[in-house]
Amino acid sequence: MTWIQFWTLFQREISRFLKVVMQTVFAPFISSFLYLLVFGVTLGQHVQLNGELSYLAYLIPGLMMMGLINNSYQNSSSSIVNMKFTGDLEDLRVVPLSNQTIVWAMALAAWVRGMIVALVTWLVGSLFMYWQSGKLLGLAHPGIFLFFSLVAGLSFGHIGIAMALWSKTMDQLSAFSSFVLLPLIYLGGVFISLEKLSPFWRAVAQWNPLLYFIEGFRYSFLGYCNVSIERAMLISVFGLGFFYWQALRSLRPGRFSRW
Amino acid sequence: MATKALEVSALTKTYGTTCAINNLSFSIEAGEIFGLLGPNGAGKTSLISILTTLEEPSSGGAKIFGHDVLTQSDFTKPLLGVVPQEIVTHGFFEVQEILQFQSGYYGVRKNQEHIDYLLNKLSLWDHRHKKVKQLSGGMKRRLMIAKALVHKPKLLLLDEPTAGVDIELREGLWDFVREMHREGLTILLTTHYLQEAETLCDRIAVINKGELCCLRPTREIITDLSRREIVLTTNSDRSFEHPLLVSQTQNQLKLLVPAKMQVGDILQDLGVTAAEIVDLQVKEGGLEEAMKFLLKGVRT
Repeated sequence: MTWIQFWTLFQREISRFLKVVMQTVFAPFISSFLYLLVFGVTLGQHVQLNGELSYLAYLIPGLMMMGLINNSYQNSSSSIVNMKFTGDLEDLRVVPLSNQTIVWAMALAAWVRGMIVALVTWLVGSLFMYWQSGKLLGLAHPGIFLFFSLVAGLSFGHIGIAMALWSKTMDQLSAFSSFVLLPLIYLGGVFISLEKLSPFWRAVAQWNPLLYFIEGFRYSFLGYCNVSIERAMLISVFGLGFFYWQALRSLRPGRFSRW
Repeated sequence: MATKALEVSALTKTYGTTCAINNLSFSIEAGEIFGLLGPNGAGKTSLISILTTLEEPSSGGAKIFGHDVLTQSDFTKPLLGVVPQEIVTHGFFEVQEILQFQSGYYGVRKNQEHIDYLLNKLSLWDHRHKKVKQLSGGMKRRLMIAKALVHKPKLLLLDEPTAGVDIELREGLWDFVREMHREGLTILLTTHYLQEAETLCDRIAVINKGELCCLRPTREIITDLSRREIVLTTNSDRSFEHPLLVSQTQNQLKLLVPAKMQVGDILQDLGVTAAEIVDLQVKEGGLEEAMKFLLKGVRT
Protein backbone atom coordinates (compact mmCIF):
# COMPACT_ATOMS: atom_id res chain seq x y z
CA MET A 1 0.00 0.00 0.00
CA THR A 2 1.37 3.41 -0.87
CA TRP A 3 0.05 6.57 0.73
CA ILE A 4 -0.68 8.07 -2.68
CA GLN A 5 -3.04 5.20 -3.50
CA PHE A 6 -4.66 5.29 -0.06
CA TRP A 7 -5.04 9.07 -0.14
CA THR A 8 -6.50 9.00 -3.67
CA LEU A 9 -9.24 6.52 -2.80
CA PHE A 10 -9.94 8.29 0.51
CA GLN A 11 -10.19 11.62 -1.32
CA ARG A 12 -12.47 10.08 -3.96
CA GLU A 13 -14.81 8.77 -1.28
CA ILE A 14 -14.95 12.11 0.55
CA SER A 15 -15.48 13.93 -2.71
CA ARG A 16 -18.30 11.51 -3.62
CA PHE A 17 -20.40 12.21 -0.54
CA LEU A 18 -19.69 15.94 -0.65
CA LYS A 19 -21.07 16.03 -4.20
CA VAL A 20 -24.43 14.89 -2.80
CA VAL A 21 -24.19 16.78 0.47
CA MET A 22 -27.97 17.33 0.68
CA GLN A 23 -28.51 13.60 0.77
CA THR A 24 -25.50 12.61 2.83
CA VAL A 25 -25.22 15.34 5.46
CA PHE A 26 -28.25 17.64 5.46
CA ALA A 27 -30.89 14.87 5.37
CA PRO A 28 -29.39 13.10 8.45
CA PHE A 29 -29.15 16.51 10.12
CA ILE A 30 -32.90 17.06 9.62
CA SER A 31 -33.77 13.64 11.07
CA SER A 32 -31.49 14.24 14.09
CA PHE A 33 -33.12 17.65 14.57
CA LEU A 34 -36.59 16.07 14.56
CA TYR A 35 -35.57 13.28 16.96
CA LEU A 36 -34.15 15.86 19.35
CA LEU A 37 -37.22 18.06 19.09
CA VAL A 38 -39.82 15.31 19.43
CA PHE A 39 -38.12 12.87 21.81
CA GLY A 40 -35.55 15.01 23.56
CA VAL A 41 -37.41 18.25 24.14
CA THR A 42 -41.10 17.38 24.03
CA LEU A 43 -41.42 13.80 25.32
CA GLY A 44 -38.18 14.00 27.30
CA GLN A 45 -39.78 16.30 29.86
CA HIS A 46 -41.88 13.33 31.03
CA VAL A 47 -39.00 10.86 31.28
CA GLN A 48 -37.34 10.50 34.65
CA LEU A 49 -33.81 9.13 34.78
CA ASN A 50 -31.77 8.29 37.85
CA GLY A 51 -29.98 11.27 39.34
CA GLU A 52 -30.15 14.79 37.93
CA LEU A 53 -29.48 13.78 34.37
CA SER A 54 -31.92 15.21 31.82
CA TYR A 55 -33.29 12.90 29.16
CA LEU A 56 -31.97 15.27 26.47
CA ALA A 57 -28.41 14.90 27.80
CA TYR A 58 -28.92 11.14 27.79
CA LEU A 59 -30.36 11.16 24.26
CA ILE A 60 -27.76 13.33 22.50
CA PRO A 61 -24.82 10.84 22.65
CA GLY A 62 -27.18 8.04 21.62
CA LEU A 63 -28.41 9.99 18.59
CA MET A 64 -24.84 10.97 17.72
CA MET A 65 -23.78 7.32 17.72
CA MET A 66 -26.87 6.35 15.73
CA GLY A 67 -25.99 8.96 13.09
CA LEU A 68 -22.36 7.85 13.10
CA ILE A 69 -23.22 4.16 12.67
CA ASN A 70 -25.92 4.71 10.03
CA ASN A 71 -23.94 7.13 7.95
CA SER A 72 -20.68 5.20 8.09
CA TYR A 73 -22.53 2.09 6.94
CA GLN A 74 -24.43 3.95 4.25
CA ASN A 75 -21.36 5.74 2.93
CA SER A 76 -19.34 2.66 2.11
CA SER A 77 -22.29 0.49 1.06
CA SER A 78 -23.87 3.10 -1.22
CA SER A 79 -20.49 3.97 -2.71
CA ILE A 80 -19.90 0.33 -3.66
CA VAL A 81 -23.44 -0.15 -4.94
CA ASN A 82 -23.08 2.99 -7.10
CA MET A 83 -19.78 1.64 -8.38
CA LYS A 84 -21.51 -1.63 -9.27
CA PHE A 85 -23.94 0.33 -11.44
CA THR A 86 -21.38 2.64 -13.03
CA GLY A 87 -18.68 0.00 -13.55
CA ASP A 88 -16.14 1.77 -11.29
CA LEU A 89 -15.95 -1.31 -9.10
CA GLU A 90 -14.23 -3.28 -11.86
CA ASP A 91 -11.73 -0.42 -12.08
CA LEU A 92 -10.91 -0.83 -8.40
CA ARG A 93 -9.87 -4.43 -9.06
CA VAL A 94 -7.99 -3.66 -12.28
CA VAL A 95 -5.80 -0.94 -10.74
CA PRO A 96 -3.03 -1.94 -8.30
CA LEU A 97 -4.95 -1.11 -5.11
CA SER A 98 -4.44 -3.70 -2.42
CA ASN A 99 -7.41 -5.02 -0.46
CA GLN A 100 -5.98 -3.33 2.64
CA THR A 101 -5.96 0.03 0.85
CA ILE A 102 -9.55 -0.39 -0.34
CA VAL A 103 -10.85 -1.48 3.06
CA TRP A 104 -9.11 1.20 5.14
CA ALA A 105 -9.51 4.12 2.74
CA MET A 106 -13.23 3.46 2.31
CA ALA A 107 -13.80 2.84 6.02
CA LEU A 108 -11.94 6.01 7.02
CA ALA A 109 -13.99 8.08 4.57
CA ALA A 110 -17.13 6.43 5.97
CA TRP A 111 -16.01 7.49 9.47
CA VAL A 112 -15.53 11.10 8.26
CA ARG A 113 -19.11 11.25 6.97
CA GLY A 114 -20.41 9.62 10.14
CA MET A 115 -18.47 12.09 12.28
CA ILE A 116 -19.80 15.10 10.38
CA VAL A 117 -23.36 13.92 11.07
CA ALA A 118 -22.52 13.11 14.71
CA LEU A 119 -20.90 16.50 15.31
CA VAL A 120 -23.81 18.36 13.73
CA THR A 121 -26.18 16.35 15.96
CA TRP A 122 -24.07 17.35 18.99
CA LEU A 123 -24.21 21.00 17.99
CA VAL A 124 -27.98 21.01 17.47
CA GLY A 125 -28.56 18.93 20.62
CA SER A 126 -26.43 21.32 22.67
CA LEU A 127 -28.45 24.27 21.39
CA PHE A 128 -31.67 22.55 22.47
CA MET A 129 -30.10 21.75 25.84
CA TYR A 130 -28.90 25.30 26.36
CA TRP A 131 -32.34 26.58 25.47
CA GLN A 132 -33.93 24.10 27.91
CA SER A 133 -31.52 24.20 30.86
CA GLY A 134 -28.94 26.90 30.18
CA LYS A 135 -26.18 24.24 30.01
CA LEU A 136 -24.13 22.80 27.17
CA LEU A 137 -23.28 19.12 26.81
CA GLY A 138 -19.53 18.77 27.28
CA LEU A 139 -17.15 15.84 26.99
CA ALA A 140 -16.14 13.99 30.15
CA HIS A 141 -13.52 11.79 28.45
CA PRO A 142 -12.25 13.13 25.08
CA GLY A 143 -9.95 10.13 24.55
CA ILE A 144 -12.81 7.68 24.98
CA PHE A 145 -14.96 9.81 22.67
CA LEU A 146 -12.30 9.53 19.95
CA PHE A 147 -11.82 5.82 20.61
CA PHE A 148 -15.51 4.88 20.29
CA SER A 149 -16.21 7.19 17.37
CA LEU A 150 -13.26 5.75 15.44
CA VAL A 151 -13.96 2.12 16.30
CA ALA A 152 -17.68 2.42 15.50
CA GLY A 153 -17.20 4.46 12.30
CA LEU A 154 -14.55 2.11 10.94
CA SER A 155 -16.51 -1.00 11.99
CA PHE A 156 -19.67 0.09 10.19
CA GLY A 157 -17.65 1.31 7.22
CA HIS A 158 -16.30 -2.25 7.01
CA ILE A 159 -19.76 -3.79 7.34
CA GLY A 160 -21.00 -1.52 4.54
CA ILE A 161 -18.20 -2.74 2.26
CA ALA A 162 -18.90 -6.40 3.04
CA MET A 163 -22.67 -6.17 2.70
CA ALA A 164 -22.53 -4.21 -0.57
CA LEU A 165 -20.08 -6.70 -2.09
CA TRP A 166 -21.97 -9.75 -0.88
CA SER A 167 -25.39 -8.46 -1.98
CA LYS A 168 -26.50 -9.56 -5.41
CA THR A 169 -29.49 -7.22 -5.48
CA MET A 170 -30.56 -3.93 -3.90
CA ASP A 171 -33.23 -5.90 -2.07
CA GLN A 172 -30.64 -7.99 -0.23
CA LEU A 173 -28.75 -4.87 0.79
CA SER A 174 -31.79 -3.04 2.11
CA ALA A 175 -32.95 -6.22 3.91
CA PHE A 176 -29.79 -6.16 6.04
CA SER A 177 -30.31 -2.50 6.77
CA SER A 178 -34.00 -2.86 7.68
CA PHE A 179 -34.07 -6.23 9.40
CA VAL A 180 -30.70 -6.32 11.16
CA LEU A 181 -29.05 -2.95 11.52
CA LEU A 182 -32.06 -0.78 12.31
CA PRO A 183 -33.54 -3.04 15.05
CA LEU A 184 -30.12 -3.43 16.67
CA ILE A 185 -29.61 0.33 16.71
CA TYR A 186 -33.07 1.04 18.13
CA LEU A 187 -32.73 -1.70 20.73
CA GLY A 188 -29.17 -0.75 21.54
CA GLY A 189 -29.99 1.97 24.04
CA VAL A 190 -30.20 5.04 21.80
CA PHE A 191 -33.54 6.16 23.19
CA ILE A 192 -34.03 4.12 26.32
CA SER A 193 -31.85 3.41 29.31
CA LEU A 194 -31.23 -0.23 30.20
CA GLU A 195 -32.34 0.69 33.73
CA LYS A 196 -35.86 1.19 32.40
CA LEU A 197 -36.09 -2.30 30.93
CA SER A 198 -37.43 -5.38 32.68
CA PRO A 199 -34.72 -7.81 33.89
CA PHE A 200 -35.53 -10.19 31.01
CA TRP A 201 -35.11 -7.57 28.28
CA ARG A 202 -32.08 -6.15 30.07
CA ALA A 203 -30.50 -9.60 29.82
CA VAL A 204 -31.46 -9.88 26.14
CA ALA A 205 -30.03 -6.42 25.41
CA GLN A 206 -26.63 -7.54 26.73
CA TRP A 207 -26.33 -9.71 23.59
CA ASN A 208 -26.77 -6.74 21.27
CA PRO A 209 -23.24 -5.74 20.18
CA LEU A 210 -24.37 -2.23 19.29
CA LEU A 211 -25.24 -1.61 22.94
CA TYR A 212 -21.52 -1.51 23.75
CA PHE A 213 -20.69 1.00 21.01
CA ILE A 214 -23.57 3.25 22.10
CA GLU A 215 -23.02 2.95 25.85
CA GLY A 216 -19.25 3.38 25.54
CA PHE A 217 -19.77 6.52 23.50
CA ARG A 218 -22.30 7.79 26.05
CA TYR A 219 -19.72 7.24 28.79
CA SER A 220 -17.35 9.67 27.04
CA PHE A 221 -19.96 12.44 27.54
CA LEU A 222 -21.67 11.57 30.81
CA GLY A 223 -18.88 9.80 32.68
CA TYR A 224 -21.11 6.80 33.32
CA CYS A 225 -22.97 4.15 31.32
CA ASN A 226 -25.08 1.07 31.87
CA VAL A 227 -22.33 -1.41 31.04
CA SER A 228 -18.74 -1.75 32.16
CA ILE A 229 -16.60 0.64 30.07
CA GLU A 230 -13.73 -1.88 29.88
CA ARG A 231 -16.12 -4.51 28.57
CA ALA A 232 -17.58 -2.03 26.08
CA MET A 233 -14.09 -1.18 24.80
CA LEU A 234 -13.11 -4.82 24.51
CA ILE A 235 -16.26 -5.85 22.63
CA SER A 236 -15.99 -2.82 20.31
CA VAL A 237 -12.39 -3.64 19.40
CA PHE A 238 -13.34 -7.27 18.85
CA GLY A 239 -16.22 -6.03 16.64
CA LEU A 240 -13.84 -3.88 14.61
CA GLY A 241 -11.52 -6.83 14.07
CA PHE A 242 -14.39 -9.11 13.06
CA PHE A 243 -15.99 -6.63 10.66
CA TYR A 244 -12.60 -5.76 9.14
CA TRP A 245 -12.05 -9.47 8.48
CA GLN A 246 -15.49 -9.73 6.84
CA ALA A 247 -14.72 -6.72 4.62
CA LEU A 248 -11.42 -8.30 3.54
CA ARG A 249 -13.16 -11.62 2.84
CA SER A 250 -15.74 -9.89 0.66
CA LEU A 251 -13.08 -8.45 -1.66
CA ARG A 252 -12.66 -11.62 -3.69
CA PRO A 253 -12.31 -11.92 -7.47
CA GLY A 254 -15.71 -12.36 -9.08
CA ARG A 255 -17.45 -9.93 -6.68
CA PHE A 256 -16.51 -6.84 -8.69
CA SER A 257 -18.91 -7.42 -11.58
CA ARG A 258 -21.45 -4.86 -12.62
CA TRP A 259 -25.12 -5.02 -11.77
CA MET B 1 15.79 -14.36 -25.02
CA ALA B 2 13.58 -11.27 -24.83
CA THR B 3 10.76 -11.38 -22.28
CA LYS B 4 7.35 -11.90 -23.84
CA ALA B 5 4.82 -9.14 -23.28
CA LEU B 6 2.18 -11.77 -22.54
CA GLU B 7 2.45 -15.47 -22.09
CA VAL B 8 -0.73 -17.50 -21.59
CA SER B 9 -0.09 -21.12 -20.56
CA ALA B 10 -2.68 -23.89 -20.56
CA LEU B 11 -5.29 -21.48 -19.25
CA THR B 12 -8.70 -22.88 -18.39
CA LYS B 13 -11.69 -21.08 -16.93
CA THR B 14 -14.97 -22.74 -16.13
CA TYR B 15 -18.17 -21.22 -14.75
CA GLY B 16 -20.12 -24.10 -13.25
CA THR B 17 -20.42 -26.60 -16.08
CA THR B 18 -19.62 -24.05 -18.79
CA CYS B 19 -16.06 -23.96 -20.04
CA ALA B 20 -15.27 -20.39 -21.15
CA ILE B 21 -11.56 -21.01 -21.84
CA ASN B 22 -10.15 -24.44 -22.53
CA ASN B 23 -6.41 -25.06 -22.21
CA LEU B 24 -5.48 -21.87 -24.06
CA SER B 25 -1.82 -21.13 -24.74
CA PHE B 26 -0.23 -18.35 -26.77
CA SER B 27 2.25 -15.54 -26.37
CA ILE B 28 2.65 -11.97 -27.54
CA GLU B 29 6.03 -10.43 -28.33
CA ALA B 30 6.89 -7.01 -26.93
CA GLY B 31 6.03 -4.31 -29.46
CA GLU B 32 3.37 -6.31 -31.32
CA ILE B 33 -0.19 -5.36 -32.14
CA PHE B 34 -1.90 -8.67 -31.55
CA GLY B 35 -5.50 -9.40 -32.48
CA LEU B 36 -7.66 -11.78 -30.50
CA LEU B 37 -10.71 -12.65 -32.55
CA GLY B 38 -13.64 -14.93 -32.11
CA PRO B 39 -17.42 -14.94 -32.07
CA ASN B 40 -19.48 -13.82 -29.06
CA GLY B 41 -18.88 -16.16 -26.12
CA ALA B 42 -15.54 -17.34 -27.52
CA GLY B 43 -13.78 -16.49 -24.25
CA LYS B 44 -12.08 -13.20 -25.17
CA THR B 45 -13.52 -11.15 -22.32
CA SER B 46 -12.99 -14.03 -19.85
CA LEU B 47 -9.31 -14.00 -20.80
CA ILE B 48 -9.09 -10.24 -20.24
CA SER B 49 -10.88 -10.64 -16.90
CA ILE B 50 -8.21 -13.12 -15.82
CA LEU B 51 -5.36 -10.90 -16.98
CA THR B 52 -6.83 -8.00 -15.01
CA THR B 53 -7.51 -10.20 -11.91
CA LEU B 54 -11.26 -9.68 -12.11
CA GLU B 55 -11.54 -13.45 -12.33
CA GLU B 56 -9.27 -16.28 -11.24
CA PRO B 57 -8.37 -19.06 -13.68
CA SER B 58 -9.59 -22.58 -12.95
CA SER B 59 -6.16 -23.85 -14.00
CA GLY B 60 -3.12 -22.69 -15.94
CA GLY B 61 -1.78 -19.18 -15.78
CA ALA B 62 -0.56 -16.06 -17.54
CA LYS B 63 2.54 -13.89 -17.29
CA ILE B 64 2.90 -10.24 -18.21
CA PHE B 65 6.48 -9.28 -19.00
CA GLY B 66 7.57 -12.33 -17.02
CA HIS B 67 5.41 -11.67 -13.94
CA ASP B 68 2.61 -14.01 -12.95
CA VAL B 69 -0.79 -12.27 -12.98
CA LEU B 70 -2.04 -14.25 -10.00
CA THR B 71 0.90 -14.17 -7.64
CA GLN B 72 2.65 -10.99 -8.78
CA SER B 73 -0.26 -8.69 -9.56
CA ASP B 74 1.56 -5.80 -7.85
CA PHE B 75 4.04 -6.00 -10.73
CA THR B 76 1.63 -6.87 -13.56
CA LYS B 77 -1.07 -4.28 -12.89
CA PRO B 78 1.14 -1.19 -13.39
CA LEU B 79 2.31 -2.70 -16.69
CA LEU B 80 -1.24 -3.05 -17.96
CA GLY B 81 -3.64 -0.49 -19.38
CA VAL B 82 -7.17 -1.73 -19.90
CA VAL B 83 -9.90 -0.33 -22.12
CA PRO B 84 -13.01 -2.30 -21.13
CA GLN B 85 -15.75 -3.32 -23.50
CA GLU B 86 -18.42 -1.52 -21.50
CA ILE B 87 -18.20 2.17 -20.70
CA VAL B 88 -17.55 3.09 -17.06
CA THR B 89 -19.74 6.09 -16.23
CA HIS B 90 -18.10 7.21 -12.93
CA GLY B 91 -21.26 8.77 -11.49
CA PHE B 92 -20.63 12.23 -10.16
CA PHE B 93 -17.07 12.83 -11.31
CA GLU B 94 -15.70 15.04 -14.07
CA VAL B 95 -13.34 13.88 -16.81
CA GLN B 96 -10.31 15.58 -15.25
CA GLU B 97 -11.05 14.22 -11.77
CA ILE B 98 -11.43 10.71 -13.18
CA LEU B 99 -7.97 10.87 -14.75
CA GLN B 100 -6.45 12.34 -11.58
CA PHE B 101 -7.95 9.56 -9.45
CA GLN B 102 -6.79 6.97 -11.95
CA SER B 103 -3.22 8.31 -11.73
CA GLY B 104 -3.38 8.19 -7.95
CA TYR B 105 -4.59 4.58 -7.97
CA TYR B 106 -1.37 3.71 -9.78
CA GLY B 107 0.64 5.67 -7.22
CA VAL B 108 1.57 8.34 -9.79
CA ARG B 109 1.84 11.82 -8.31
CA LYS B 110 2.13 15.12 -10.18
CA ASN B 111 0.85 13.64 -13.41
CA GLN B 112 -1.05 16.70 -14.62
CA GLU B 113 1.28 17.24 -17.59
CA HIS B 114 0.60 13.76 -18.95
CA ILE B 115 -3.12 14.09 -18.20
CA ASP B 116 -3.20 17.35 -20.16
CA TYR B 117 -1.32 15.66 -23.02
CA LEU B 118 -3.89 12.84 -23.16
CA LEU B 119 -6.81 15.26 -22.91
CA ASN B 120 -5.44 17.20 -25.86
CA LYS B 121 -4.39 14.17 -27.86
CA LEU B 122 -7.80 12.53 -27.51
CA SER B 123 -9.72 15.79 -28.10
CA LEU B 124 -11.15 15.84 -24.58
CA TRP B 125 -9.56 19.08 -23.38
CA ASP B 126 -12.70 21.16 -23.97
CA HIS B 127 -14.76 18.55 -22.14
CA ARG B 128 -12.51 18.07 -19.10
CA HIS B 129 -15.03 19.60 -16.70
CA LYS B 130 -17.94 17.52 -17.96
CA LYS B 131 -19.35 14.41 -16.32
CA VAL B 132 -19.21 11.19 -18.31
CA LYS B 133 -22.96 11.16 -18.91
CA GLN B 134 -22.60 14.54 -20.66
CA LEU B 135 -20.13 13.12 -23.20
CA SER B 136 -20.97 11.64 -26.58
CA GLY B 137 -20.40 7.94 -27.22
CA GLY B 138 -17.12 8.63 -28.99
CA MET B 139 -15.86 10.89 -26.21
CA LYS B 140 -16.66 8.21 -23.65
CA ARG B 141 -14.58 5.72 -25.63
CA ARG B 142 -11.71 8.20 -25.83
CA LEU B 143 -11.93 8.77 -22.09
CA MET B 144 -11.63 5.02 -21.50
CA ILE B 145 -8.44 5.07 -23.61
CA ALA B 146 -7.07 8.10 -21.75
CA LYS B 147 -7.72 6.30 -18.44
CA ALA B 148 -5.90 3.21 -19.66
CA LEU B 149 -2.87 5.27 -20.68
CA VAL B 150 -2.67 7.66 -17.74
CA HIS B 151 0.04 5.64 -15.96
CA LYS B 152 2.07 4.94 -19.14
CA PRO B 153 1.57 1.15 -19.32
CA LYS B 154 3.65 -1.22 -21.46
CA LEU B 155 0.82 -3.52 -22.54
CA LEU B 156 -2.55 -2.12 -23.58
CA LEU B 157 -5.61 -4.39 -23.59
CA LEU B 158 -8.27 -3.02 -25.92
CA ASP B 159 -11.48 -4.98 -25.48
CA GLU B 160 -13.64 -4.01 -28.46
CA PRO B 161 -12.64 -0.35 -28.23
CA THR B 162 -14.57 0.78 -31.28
CA ALA B 163 -17.88 -1.00 -30.61
CA GLY B 164 -20.70 1.38 -31.51
CA VAL B 165 -18.34 4.06 -32.79
CA ASP B 166 -18.87 5.81 -36.14
CA ILE B 167 -16.42 5.25 -38.99
CA GLU B 168 -14.68 8.63 -38.71
CA LEU B 169 -13.98 8.22 -35.02
CA ARG B 170 -12.98 4.60 -35.53
CA GLU B 171 -10.32 5.63 -38.00
CA GLY B 172 -9.16 8.35 -35.62
CA LEU B 173 -8.78 5.76 -32.88
CA TRP B 174 -6.87 3.46 -35.24
CA ASP B 175 -4.42 6.30 -35.96
CA PHE B 176 -3.99 6.83 -32.23
CA VAL B 177 -3.40 3.12 -31.63
CA ARG B 178 -0.76 3.11 -34.38
CA GLU B 179 0.91 6.11 -32.78
CA MET B 180 0.97 4.44 -29.37
CA HIS B 181 2.42 1.37 -31.02
CA ARG B 182 5.16 3.42 -32.68
CA GLU B 183 6.03 4.77 -29.23
CA GLY B 184 6.70 1.20 -28.10
CA LEU B 185 3.40 0.05 -26.60
CA THR B 186 2.40 -3.60 -27.03
CA ILE B 187 -1.28 -3.92 -27.85
CA LEU B 188 -3.74 -6.77 -27.46
CA LEU B 189 -6.90 -5.98 -29.40
CA THR B 190 -10.16 -7.87 -29.33
CA THR B 191 -12.67 -6.74 -31.89
CA HIS B 192 -15.62 -7.81 -34.00
CA TYR B 193 -14.60 -5.41 -36.76
CA LEU B 194 -12.42 -7.64 -38.88
CA GLN B 195 -11.29 -4.74 -40.99
CA GLU B 196 -9.89 -3.23 -37.81
CA ALA B 197 -7.89 -6.37 -37.04
CA GLU B 198 -6.77 -6.68 -40.64
CA THR B 199 -5.60 -3.06 -40.72
CA LEU B 200 -3.87 -2.96 -37.34
CA CYS B 201 -2.69 -6.38 -36.23
CA ASP B 202 0.67 -8.03 -36.91
CA ARG B 203 -0.61 -11.41 -35.77
CA ILE B 204 -4.02 -12.78 -35.02
CA ALA B 205 -5.27 -15.54 -32.75
CA VAL B 206 -8.74 -16.87 -33.43
CA ILE B 207 -10.50 -18.54 -30.53
CA ASN B 208 -13.81 -20.34 -30.57
CA LYS B 209 -15.59 -21.90 -27.59
CA GLY B 210 -12.52 -21.13 -25.51
CA GLU B 211 -10.09 -22.99 -27.74
CA LEU B 212 -7.39 -21.67 -30.01
CA CYS B 213 -8.31 -22.28 -33.67
CA CYS B 214 -5.50 -20.42 -35.34
CA LEU B 215 -2.51 -18.22 -34.49
CA ARG B 216 -0.63 -16.75 -37.43
CA PRO B 217 0.49 -13.49 -38.99
CA THR B 218 -2.54 -11.61 -40.31
CA ARG B 219 -1.29 -11.61 -43.91
CA GLU B 220 -0.77 -15.35 -43.85
CA ILE B 221 -4.28 -16.05 -42.58
CA ILE B 222 -5.77 -13.96 -45.35
CA THR B 223 -3.52 -15.44 -48.01
CA ASP B 224 -4.07 -19.05 -46.99
CA LEU B 225 -7.68 -19.01 -45.97
CA SER B 226 -9.42 -16.46 -48.17
CA ARG B 227 -10.04 -16.47 -51.92
CA ARG B 228 -9.65 -13.97 -54.71
CA GLU B 229 -12.47 -13.29 -57.11
CA ILE B 230 -11.19 -12.91 -60.66
CA VAL B 231 -13.51 -11.56 -63.33
CA LEU B 232 -12.05 -11.89 -66.80
CA THR B 233 -13.64 -10.38 -69.91
CA THR B 234 -12.37 -11.71 -73.23
CA ASN B 235 -13.02 -11.03 -76.89
CA SER B 236 -13.05 -14.73 -77.61
CA ASP B 237 -16.15 -16.84 -78.20
CA ARG B 238 -14.47 -20.07 -77.23
CA SER B 239 -15.35 -21.88 -74.03
CA PHE B 240 -12.83 -22.19 -71.18
CA GLU B 241 -12.44 -24.94 -68.61
CA HIS B 242 -10.88 -24.68 -65.17
CA PRO B 243 -11.68 -26.39 -61.83
CA LEU B 244 -11.99 -22.98 -60.09
CA LEU B 245 -14.30 -21.51 -62.70
CA VAL B 246 -17.54 -20.46 -61.04
CA SER B 247 -19.47 -19.04 -63.99
CA GLN B 248 -19.05 -18.30 -67.67
CA THR B 249 -21.48 -15.94 -69.40
CA GLN B 250 -20.89 -14.75 -72.95
CA ASN B 251 -17.38 -13.34 -72.83
CA GLN B 252 -17.06 -13.07 -69.06
CA LEU B 253 -15.47 -15.66 -66.76
CA LYS B 254 -15.67 -15.62 -62.98
CA LEU B 255 -13.19 -17.62 -60.89
CA LEU B 256 -12.71 -17.98 -57.15
CA VAL B 257 -9.10 -18.87 -56.43
CA PRO B 258 -7.00 -19.25 -53.29
CA ALA B 259 -5.48 -15.87 -52.42
CA LYS B 260 -1.98 -17.31 -52.61
CA MET B 261 -2.40 -18.30 -56.28
CA GLN B 262 -0.87 -15.92 -58.82
CA VAL B 263 -3.19 -14.38 -61.42
CA GLY B 264 -0.62 -15.12 -64.16
CA ASP B 265 -0.70 -18.83 -63.29
CA ILE B 266 -4.49 -18.90 -63.49
CA LEU B 267 -4.47 -17.20 -66.89
CA GLN B 268 -1.85 -19.63 -68.08
CA ASP B 269 -3.91 -22.59 -66.84
CA LEU B 270 -6.94 -21.23 -68.67
CA GLY B 271 -4.92 -20.83 -71.82
CA VAL B 272 -5.94 -17.22 -72.35
CA THR B 273 -3.64 -15.14 -74.49
CA ALA B 274 -2.89 -11.49 -73.82
CA ALA B 275 -4.63 -10.53 -77.07
CA GLU B 276 -7.86 -12.13 -75.84
CA ILE B 277 -8.02 -10.13 -72.59
CA VAL B 278 -10.36 -7.14 -72.72
CA ASP B 279 -10.65 -6.54 -68.96
CA LEU B 280 -9.37 -8.17 -65.76
CA GLN B 281 -10.72 -7.41 -62.31
CA VAL B 282 -9.28 -8.96 -59.14
CA LYS B 283 -11.10 -8.61 -55.82
CA GLU B 284 -8.99 -9.71 -52.87
CA GLY B 285 -10.54 -11.85 -50.18
CA GLY B 286 -10.41 -10.50 -46.63
CA LEU B 287 -10.09 -11.60 -43.06
CA GLU B 288 -13.86 -11.92 -42.78
CA GLU B 289 -13.93 -14.74 -45.30
CA ALA B 290 -10.93 -16.40 -43.67
CA MET B 291 -12.63 -16.19 -40.27
CA LYS B 292 -15.84 -17.74 -41.54
CA PHE B 293 -13.85 -20.55 -43.05
CA LEU B 294 -11.93 -21.03 -39.81
CA LEU B 295 -14.93 -20.96 -37.52
CA LYS B 296 -17.54 -22.70 -39.63
CA GLY B 297 -15.51 -24.46 -42.31
CA VAL B 298 -17.75 -22.90 -44.97
CA ARG B 299 -17.13 -20.63 -47.91
CA THR B 300 -19.38 -17.66 -48.49
